Amino acid sequence: MENTAALTDEQITRDLLPQKFGKRGTIWTGLLIIICVIGAYAYYRQLKYGLVVTNMRDYVSWGIYISNFVFFVAISLVGSLITAIFRLANVKWSTPLTRIAEIIAVSAIVFASIIIIVDMGRPERFMNLFLHGRIQSPIMWDVIVIGTYFFISCLLLYFPLLPDLKILIGLKQKTGKALNKLYRFQGSFWKGTGGQFRISDRAINILCIVIIPVAFCIHTVTSWLFATTYRPGWDSTNFGAYFISGAFLVGAGGVVVAMYVFRKAYHLEKYITEKHFEKMGRIVVLLALLYLYFNINEYLIPAFKMKKPEEAHLTQLFTGEYAALFWFAILVGMIIPIIILLFKKGRKPLPMFIAGVMVVVGAWFKRYLIVTPTLLHPFLPMQNVPDNYHHYFPSWEEWAIAMGSLAGALLVITFFARIYPIIPIHETITEQHEQAENK
Amino acid sequence: MNKLKINRPVSLLLTVLAIPFMHATAQADSVPSKEIVKLHYFNSNNSLQYLLLESVVKKGKKLEPQAKKAFRLYLDNDQQQNLIADVVTDQTGKARAFIPVALKTSWDSSGTHTFIVVPEAKDNEGTSSEFTITRTSISIDTSSADGVKNISVRVMKNQSGQWIPVNGVEMKIGVERLGGILSAGDDETYTTDSTGTVTTEFKKDSLPGDQHGSFVLVAKVDDNDELGNLIVEKQVPWGVAAKTHTNFFNQRTLWSTRFKTPFWLLFMAYSIVIAVWGTIIYLVFQIIKIKKLGVAGDSRNDQRKSVIQPVNEL
Repeated sequence: MENTAALTDEQITRDLLPQKFGKRGTIWTGLLIIICVIGAYAYYRQLKYGLVVTNMRDYVSWGIYISNFVFFVAISLVGSLITAIFRLANVKWSTPLTRIAEIIAVSAIVFASIIIIVDMGRPERFMNLFLHGRIQSPIMWDVIVIGTYFFISCLLLYFPLLPDLKILIGLKQKTGKALNKLYRFQGSFWKGTGGQFRISDRAINILCIVIIPVAFCIHTVTSWLFATTYRPGWDSTNFGAYFISGAFLVGAGGVVVAMYVFRKAYHLEKYITEKHFEKMGRIVVLLALLYLYFNINEYLIPAFKMKKPEEAHLTQLFTGEYAALFWFAILVGMIIPIIILLFKKGRKPLPMFIAGVMVVVGAWFKRYLIVTPTLLHPFLPMQNVPDNYHHYFPSWEEWAIAMGSLAGALLVITFFARIYPIIPIHETITEQHEQAENK
Repeated sequence: MNKLKINRPVSLLLTVLAIPFMHATAQADSVPSKEIVKLHYFNSNNSLQYLLLESVVKKGKKLEPQAKKAFRLYLDNDQQQNLIADVVTDQTGKARAFIPVALKTSWDSSGTHTFIVVPEAKDNEGTSSEFTITRTSISIDTSSADGVKNISVRVMKNQSGQWIPVNGVEMKIGVERLGGILSAGDDETYTTDSTGTVTTEFKKDSLPGDQHGSFVLVAKVDDNDELGNLIVEKQVPWGVAAKTHTNFFNQRTLWSTRFKTPFWLLFMAYSIVIAVWGTIIYLVFQIIKIKKLGVAGDSRNDQRKSVIQPVNEL
């Protein structure tokens, strides 16, 4: 944050205060709300008529909902990457990105939980998981680890927010009465004493240590939901690492997109600098190369052997019905971003934003490809079933609910940025003071 | 007028490259396709007679099934009253039809029958095909003497209202298993003698059966030109009774109920859950501690206070 060196505390505070929605912000929020409402209506129809309104049938029982779930779980991993790993590694430049990463993690994990309930034909039976759950089942492990990760992410969002709440409470005229009430409820007890800081710092360090294995667990367990099921394309010992590398990539891509949008929308050029894009660009290219490596392992070796039961699945991906989507996910989700980001000019804000969008979009389709084509190619042949059981394309209700959940996650992030500083004010000022002292 | 300039070597190269493509296209067009219809007659246990129609198109050396192709099947002549069924082929090019009870009189009236297959093409393309079979009866019998078990299968055909034995019918005799028929003796197939009978000794000892030690004996004639496909079955108590493992779900395994979770999994899962949630609860208590410190306003021992002073006016 070399550019903030000349800024006063007041200037930093003024720049980083949450701002009211402008015209564009209002349109954006309105658009998201409309998408959410359409999604809610589609879900109402699903509750009323049952899962028959979807195009999921006996074979494709995990469609776009579960693809979306895996996507949300993947993108939520970013919280641990930016916040915990960088904090433990004493990487100072990541400070303006920590809260962005954490709110992405929290909103994504909330909607991962929601979308898994949406996938249930009888959501009122959700409690049965806890009342009659078997700890032998990977689904039970997923429920436990998602709940745990949600609480840890919330705590990791809350503890560093406390000093900022104190600043916000002091600016009642700027923030307004209603928000001031909320800030007081959440952090009026924070006086910024040494004792409070000591406890808070220790808590944040503990959280950073705990969240890393939990984050690894959340995505490994999600991968095990597939890998413990004996099906072509899922029957892999590599799935845990493959999923985690993909999650790190999509998470980092998501942060890059959010960095660019917040920088533009809130004029944060002095805080989220080109240096941040340059460094994030290097991280994204490394993660993309890593994920590409796992993809080569995951597809090339089975394709080399081309075992008969897996042949139909692999052929569909490489040259068949799903070929366009498969090569789109590989090229747009990995190879083109790698090419863009390998060059210094590609690590400038706009190209980075484009690469970030490509990574995220590619990653969404990649999850779809992991889930659906496999279900259409079981080891035992599909016999005596209606013709439409051989294909799957989501119904409008499925699209509406999936898009509604994505819009919901973006809405959570949007409202968070409206209520709280998206870049930590206190930490930014503290770091500036430390830099000044070191000079 | 400007003349179109074409580089000669390039045009030559394009022509050479185009030749294989043109050749392949021409070849694809010139390969004649031939429609083939096969009809298989099945007689199961002398009680269920049905027909399996198979429609394929032969293109060069390739055989491709014809899906959604409609046919009409007749018995002996293509009059409406002799209609067996209207059928449409599935994705594998196959269609099945049962001989209806309404045709019982016609069926019983003769020993030999002809099935007529008429394609229901809109443009009246395709010709009808005829398949002739002889009415047959197949029976299976078993006997045991001095510990030796024998199986006898007899095949008879109807000729001018009389049932006469059929000589030289090749068949499989054995035990019905999931993947096919496990031969009863040492030979793969058996052939009937002049009395229409084939007898073989059952040599498969200690073969697992159902709970009562029973399994199904099968005699099967495949695609005989005159008789079609015949199958006859008989259940016999010659196997070893299968024991049900009542304690299968009573073990502590990954497939057991939640009350029979393996101890190692319980230990691992609860250790992780307790460790992580213990930490979360500890951290929640830290928030309470921070709150208490703030409420008490105790800053007497503060060595490190916030570097930021309250900013009231911006």
